[in-house]
Amino acid sequence: MAGTEPRVHYLAGFSCPLGGLAAGKPRVLCHEEEVFLSTGSEFVYVYDQEGGLLTAVYQFPDQVWHLQLLALRRALYVLCARRGIYCLSLESRTRGSSSQTSEDKDSEISSPVITVDPEACVLPHTTLCAFTVHDDVLVALVQSPAQWKMQLFERPCPGEDCWPGGLVGEVELSATMPPVGAPGKLTAPCFLPVLCCVSPPGSRVPRGHPQGCGGFMLEEALFGLLFGADATLLESPVILCGLPDGQLCCVVLKALVTSRSAPGDPKALVKILHHLEEPVVFIGALKTEPQAEEAVESMLPCEDVYSDCLVALGHHGRALAIKASWNKSGSLVPELREYLLPGPVLCAACSGGSRLYHSTPSDLCVVDLALGGTPLNLEQPQPDGAPGGLPPLLCPASLSICSVLTLSVLSRTPAGGTELLALSAKGRLMTCRLDLNSEMPGPTKMTTENAGQKIKELLSGIGDVSERVSFLKKAVDQRNKALTSLNEAMNVSCALLSSREGAPPISCTITTAWSRLQLQDVLMATCLLENNSDFSLDQGWTLCIQVLTSSSALDLDSAGSAVTYTIPVDRLSPGSQREVTLPLGPSESGVLDLPVTMSCTLFYSLKEVVGRALAPSDPLEDPFLEEQPLDLLPEQEGICLPLSRHTVDMLQCLRFPNLAPPRAHIPCPLGPAADLVDTFLETCRPPGSESAGPEALRAKYLPPSTASIRVSAELLRAALEDSHSGVSLCSATLQWLLAENAAVDIVRAQALSSVQGVAPDGTDVHLIIHEVAMNDLCLAGPIQAVEIQVESSSLADMCRAHHAIVGRMQTMVMEQAARGSSPPDLRVQYLRQIHANHEALLREVQSLRDRLCTEDEAGSCATAQRLLQVYKQLRSPSLVLL
Amino acid sequence: MSRPSLLDASAARASCLDLWREENDRLVRRAKLRRQLLTQDVLEGLRGLLRSLQGLPAAVPALPLELAVTCNVIILRVSLSRVFPEDQAQGIRQALERVLETQEQLGPRLEQGLRELWDSVLRASALLPALLPALHLLAGLQAALWLSTDRLGDLASMLQTLNGSQSRASEDLLLLLKAWSPPAVESDAPLILQDAQGLKDVLLTASAFRQGLQELITGRLPEALSNLQEAASSLCSRSVLAQVYTALGNCLRKMGNPQRALLYLIAALKEGSPLGPPLLEASRLYQQLGDTTAELESLELLAEALSVTHSSEAPQILIEVELLLPRPDPASPLHCGTQSHVKHLLASRCLQTGRAEDAAEHYLDLLALLFDGSEPRLSPPLCPPGPCMPELFLEAAVALITASRAQDALTVCEELLSRTSFLLPKMHRLWEDVRKGTRELPHCPLWVSAAHLLQGQAWVQLRAQKEAISEFSRCLELLFRAMPEDKDQASNCEQGCRLDAALQHLRSAALISRGLEWAASGQDSKALQDFFLSVQMCPGHRDASFHLLQTLKKLNRKDEASAVWRRLKAQTQPPQEGATWSLPLYLETYLSWIHPPNCETLLEEFQTSLAEPCDVL
Repeated sequence: MAGTEPRVHYLAGFSCPLGGLAAGKPRVLCHEEEVFLSTGSEFVYVYDQEGGLLTAVYQFPDQVWHLQLLALRRALYVLCARRGIYCLSLESRTRGSSSQTSEDKDSEISSPVITVDPEACVLPHTTLCAFTVHDDVLVALVQSPAQWKMQLFERPCPGEDCWPGGLVGEVELSATMPPVGAPGKLTAPCFLPVLCCVSPPGSRVPRGHPQGCGGFMLEEALFGLLFGADATLLESPVILCGLPDGQLCCVVLKALVTSRSAPGDPKALVKILHHLEEPVVFIGALKTEPQAEEAVESMLPCEDVYSDCLVALGHHGRALAIKASWNKSGSLVPELREYLLPGPVLCAACSGGSRLYHSTPSDLCVVDLALGGTPLNLEQPQPDGAPGGLPPLLCPASLSICSVLTLSVLSRTPAGGTELLALSAKGRLMTCRLDLNSEMPGPTKMTTENAGQKIKELLSGIGDVSERVSFLKKAVDQRNKALTSLNEAMNVSCALLSSREGAPPISCTITTAWSRLQLQDVLMATCLLENNSDFSLDQGWTLCIQVLTSSSALDLDSAGSAVTYTIPVDRLSPGSQREVTLPLGPSESGVLDLPVTMSCTLFYSLKEVVGRALAPSDPLEDPFLEEQPLDLLPEQEGICLPLSRHTVDMLQCLRFPNLAPPRAHIPCPLGPAADLVDTFLETCRPPGSESAGPEALRAKYLPPSTASIRVSAELLRAALEDSHSGVSLCSATLQWLLAENAAVDIVRAQALSSVQGVAPDGTDVHLIIHEVAMNDLCLAGPIQAVEIQVESSSLADMCRAHHAIVGRMQTMVMEQAARGSSPPDLRVQYLRQIHANHEALLREVQSLRDRLCTEDEAGSCATAQRLLQVYKQLRSPSLVLL
Repeated sequence: MSRPSLLDASAARASCLDLWREENDRLVRRAKLRRQLLTQDVLEGLRGLLRSLQGLPAAVPALPLELAVTCNVIILRVSLSRVFPEDQAQGIRQALERVLETQEQLGPRLEQGLRELWDSVLRASALLPALLPALHLLAGLQAALWLSTDRLGDLASMLQTLNGSQSRASEDLLLLLKAWSPPAVESDAPLILQDAQGLKDVLLTASAFRQGLQELITGRLPEALSNLQEAASSLCSRSVLAQVYTALGNCLRKMGNPQRALLYLIAALKEGSPLGPPLLEASRLYQQLGDTTAELESLELLAEALSVTHSSEAPQILIEVELLLPRPDPASPLHCGTQSHVKHLLASRCLQTGRAEDAAEHYLDLLALLFDGSEPRLSPPLCPPGPCMPELFLEAAVALITASRAQDALTVCEELLSRTSFLLPKMHRLWEDVRKGTRELPHCPLWVSAAHLLQGQAWVQLRAQKEAISEFSRCLELLFRAMPEDKDQASNCEQGCRLDAALQHLRSAALISRGLEWAASGQDSKALQDFFLSVQMCPGHRDASFHLLQTLKKLNRKDEASAVWRRLKAQTQPPQEGATWSLPLYLETYLSWIHPPNCETLLEEFQTSLAEPCDVL
């Protein structure tokens, strides 16, 4: 008895990508004991049900989109994406249309993989999306940029290289929507059109078309109503076509034959039956008249059955059923009825009877379109054998098998049940045996004998459900996690944004230090991310550090370069901190363009956290979501919180080898790309002897560039009041300038007021600070001032250092001004003069720079010289900061 | 420091260019092998090559190769798909933009149309003589694209710019094309599939032919003639020449020069390959001349010619004239449907010209052709002007009856009935939803009743009166069931009008036929009733009145007869004739059968017989 066997029987597993197979393209066909299967990849598997093993694996050059078997001719037609239609002769399989065999890497495939010979391509076409073979013709649907084209070919046989000369007819389908893809570029459609061939009753259709091979017969009344008297009289098959835009149209096959030069007139040839308004995924036919039920059941499904109801299924579950019926005035009319079934529909199949199976990610459902199938209508009287109507509503019954991607009705078992062949999203091929009596809901009598069987079925159903449960559980977990994470992110953002005043709860401090990597000294920036808030930074947070170098002074046009480092913050709980070290330079060529600005931001990626949860955890939930993934998310797809901004300037990068305590003697800092020989000579030089390197020579013959800044001592004192206690003002000033330099401790310890450092590129930089008195500035008498003098043999380094000092001064002055210190009385006249001088100089600078842009090389050299002089003048200390 | 590296790079690029050029040449040579699979691969290869070339910034040294590859891709795509794909313009636009890029002129040009783009490119190309050959070829392809999409204004303006300003005055496309002289291709240039000179010849022929055809259809015959003659005198393949000659024949026939037209058609036939259009044209010519034998002969030849399946050879990898011609629609003189269309035309012409045996044979042939499922090359003559399948059956039955093959006619009608009767309404009144229904269904009662009518007539021929009368009665029963309910609705569309007219005539024909049968069996009163009904049904139908008159006369009911006679006399001849034009062929033929043979003599006879008693009185 059938009930003793398990309901679902796993036959084989096939490789499937992570996240399961995609719906829409897998196909499974069965002929006698052989199962032909494609999973949407480039393989076609042949599985022997009897022996329970794979007998052949064919490899195609691209994804396989459709299979059709001509059982009588032992030929398998395969649609290969972007390649065309291949024909494999099953007879010659052992002889081998194979050109070579190779072992596949996939361990689960034990049989040899047969690479399909390009010669087997019988209809090369790059935009062919669907086909069906009927008798001696092949109907193909071709995607052109603006519409779909139906083409009729003489059925190509294996081994023929056929030009479109075999084309015997063509018509354009008036699709309202152009197929997906940017204009000019065809992309693979995510929904393939559905083609199927409807034969009129009594036509001499070759038997042995397996179900699902795109062919069925309709009884004459429905056929005549739908397709007209011409098709009926001609006994012509009709091609039904369901398009991704929802159109359901039909073309009379015999009328499609046109001369090659003139494609058929769409108005005369194409008839639109209906518009489903969602992608059509299935077209089939059912036998709903109850009186024939017994006869049907005794037949095998491959036997000719005149179906009396046409069904079409849309992706979102909209189902259309068409049946011929008599209206009130007694004329024959097509009765159209739309139903809504649970969606999204992955695949569907019709049994020989009145049942339609359709698969969603969560379940395999069966509906019965026979009027008597629904208990409500059992008592409705049926007038004199006229065809009954369609049931007013359908109640899908669950079969508790989830995520079936493709279905094929195998046969009817002797016990009256149906056997389905199915491929699940996990790549499992299985047979499902459905018992007629138990598969339908409704009042079935529970007897003691079938109670036991029922329990067994329920138990075996649990196996299928568990797979589904794990899917759903994973999805729920993921969503919960995403929500928690989002909540945390909200808290963090609020904390950061609300604490503009005072210490931020999450801070990022940056310090710089030189360190030696391999043979080169590198300035390293250390970012310390501290979390002082009550919330933890979890997955999804990223620390972004943007390093922006200023443009090189030597090259007027070049913009500074910006590098952004993103460091994932993987869980930073409250109170903890994380340190990140970045190299700032100098680069290979020894250049370090100071000042360098570093800005730190925290970034929360919505895409990473929310996106993953929104994306179907179960790839079947909506397998076609990928193309419009998360339009809900804003463009930036995240939250960006600025943390801090830090400028690394020359003063922080100076090194002071002379100050180093003898015990921790650091070898003389190397120029980044210093010549090894130079280094050697340098170290060999006896102490005290004069350096003979280029530096020394330059120092000897080129006067060093200098610049100075004067600040009133009063201002400095006020600014440095807390730190200069006990030391001279000059030393305090130096300490203040070098506060962020590692050498500050030595300066403090030795109370230095002048210091000689080395710039990153190896040139010397002198900082000399001394007190001066400014006499002619103030009416009240001389002003005590501090002069900071910068001296370097390299003009560029001098400028950088000067710039750094000026920058600090600016901030200091701003702070002091905020405190409201009052400057002493000044001689305004004198100030004005100086001011006017400077303005004149600035104007000159402007004009010189303009000239520099336009002049040729010779001229620009002179201009540059002059420009340098003016700059030098500008830097000359004639003003004091008060 | 930087100089040597630059030199290196340019040296590498030069060698790379050479490599790419060799690849192009290799692919072009492969394409010329003309095998489709190979050609697909070649196309892919060329596209890949183009992508590599376009990956580099546009530079003058690389551009000739890039343009050549672009042209090759376009030519290959067009000749593979046998149409100009819409996105071809995109490829051309990209190529033009690359040219402008080298001139650093590509600022706000993105919004420009192709026409303006060509203007600026051609202006810039004066500075780039190296690019000229490739640009001219690309311009040729653009011209082909614009020609096939009928953008003649753009085409003319581009040609003017291409030719330089001296010919600006001329707007004539042909003159412009003739004036265009593409520069010669240098021997070391990359291989291309078709050179500009060849393309120019193709364009010249195609544009002359297109213009000629258009003028022919719009009826500007003298212009059409000159353009077609221009096309005939230019370089083209034999099959194109045959088409041009056919069009010339058509033009001359319409201009009233049948003899010259015939000469052209014979020339077209001599050119071979598409034999269909010249033969069809010849049959029209003979029909116009009234030479029925020759007309039918040429139709027979045409049917035979279409039945031969000429093996389609691999097409040239070239832009050919055929690709630039408009798709022949039924209005075009170059359209000659399929074999079944021609068979039907032949059969119906035979029927119309009274060659009943031939007509019957041809109809049977046609039905056999259509029902022999093994031939996928045949399609039924389903186009709207032609009859639909049921009408074809009825015509066949009529032809068989005319050829005295009543038994066969019965079979044909039986077949029709068995396949359509299930679509008939079960009860009355299918009418109102029928009017807005599909093409076939409203006609269904008409066809079924016509089939019964013809069956009745066949029985008449077999001298089986009882069967005949019962068939006529069934026909009438069906016809009166399908009574139009309200007349306002009936008159609102032409199709409805035709349907109503056909229905009316069918009713009257059925009544007359039954009446004739009654009369033949001596039941004159029943006959009289039918004729009387028929006159009432269709007052304009003179035949019914004649039969009525005859019967009344036979029964010696003079008063009524004279009333009928007076009505007949009062009715002027034509209205009935005017109404018949839209009747289907089978009905028209049927009506001719029941037309009383000697109406005029009957009228005169009656007048004299009427006059005598008057004189007596």
